[in-house]
Amino acid sequence: MKEKMYIEYLFMLMTIGDMMGIPLLPPYYTLRLLPYMVPNIKGWKLRMLRERDFTDIVTG
Amino acid sequence: MPRSVGFKYLFEKRPELKIAIFAGKGGLGKTTSSAALSYKLSTMGKRVLCFSTDPQASLSDIFEKDLFGKGEIEISKNLYVLEIDADKRIKEYVDSIRQKIKDMYKIEEIPREVEDYIESAVAEPAMYESAVYDAMLDVVSQNKYDFYVFDMPPFGHGIRMVAMADILSKWVDKITEARRQAYEYEKVASRLKREKYTEREDQLLKELESIRDRIVSFSRLITDPKGTAFTMVLIPEKMAIVDTEKALKMFEELGLRMSGVVVNQVYPPAILEDPRAPEYLKKRVEAQKPFLREIYEKFEDLILAIIPMLRREPRGLEMIEAVAKELWESTITLDDLEAISKR
Ligand SMILES: Nc1ncnc2c1ncn2[C@@H]1O[C@H](COP(=O)(O)OP(=O)(O)OP(=O)(O)O)[C@@H](O)[C@H]1O
Ligand SMILES: [Mg+2]
Repeated sequence: MKEKMYIEYLFMLMTIGDMMGIPLLPPYYTLRLLPYMVPNIKGWKLRMLRERDFTDIVTG
Repeated sequence: MPRSVGFKYLFEKRPELKIAIFAGKGGLGKTTSSAALSYKLSTMGKRVLCFSTDPQASLSDIFEKDLFGKGEIEISKNLYVLEIDADKRIKEYVDSIRQKIKDMYKIEEIPREVEDYIESAVAEPAMYESAVYDAMLDVVSQNKYDFYVFDMPPFGHGIRMVAMADILSKWVDKITEARRQAYEYEKVASRLKREKYTEREDQLLKELESIRDRIVSFSRLITDPKGTAFTMVLIPEKMAIVDTEKALKMFEELGLRMSGVVVNQVYPPAILEDPRAPEYLKKRVEAQKPFLREIYEKFEDLILAIIPMLRREPRGLEMIEAVAKELWESTITLDDLEAISKR
């Protein structure tokens, strides 16, 4: 199960990494992965927001 | 014997060359050099494709013909020019992605969050660049020509793709292995339940591998030590020299070799000896001196050709031919540059 999460995490990093400032793939190719990531995208946005709130509390 | 330069010598040394790439900052002479070399090779009997991705349609300007987005057009015997409409290519590609999402999930409309993502990806400056590189790969893999000349976009060296190819390859290998292990493990646990999920992952992995193959092929294409000449164009000015040094450093860090540099827009030093030459021209020669000296000192071994400043902007086959002659065998020699350096 741990490996599974690891893969999921890497896939996410790969596709939306550029939004988080980790430019891994040229955007032309990132889009090719997008169809597979559709079910994850909603959840990802929420997670990012939550994390940001948390950082705000810690650093602010 | 004067130390002459010119692409003639490069081709003598490397007869198996199949691709020439002209890179460098904007406005220095990439398009002019690309057109000139393409023309020259075509007159020597090679079937040449000159490829540009400039949204400003600069090959159309220099060849004095509307070529933009029109496919491969024959300009003169053996000389074909392709000026792709990258924006259109991107748009069609993005539409195909949208369609794929709709088909995959059987939905009529793309979810807002996904559409947001697509739009931000399209708006990235690197989008245009990566689309262009992908088109380059397409053209070369069709293998219809003897020689390809690429007039590169001014905003990048494509070098990042080379660095990326290596990282990505290792990464995809790692993922494949991790996934294989996870799969073995799971087969025992709950196979049926996850079958659909695994299928999606399988496809994703395939996609990832095919992306890796594209990037690796591109990286090989531009760094092939046998078949490709990667050339930077510069002019006798401070900024251009600094940029060329930076690019050289980047190449070195990646363990690559640049084929050389083209020094463009040089006022011939012989003007100084000519009693009939107007004063303003002599002043321009003087103004270029310190930069020519710097170029000679820094890039002596790399100089492939020295192209003089022409009286007007090169347009049309006749002027392209004049530039081609200088590119092939330059009138200005390394000795001329050395003489300037000593003055
Ligand atoms: N040797 C030369 N003598 C006179 N004019 C030149 C010479 N080389 C280039 N030019 C002119 O300088 C300008 C820039 O050259 P060119 O279009 O080849 O550069 P480029 O690197 O392709 O620029 P961009 O990055 O904008 O595509 C053009 O107007 C061209 O006609
Ligand atoms: Mg140009």
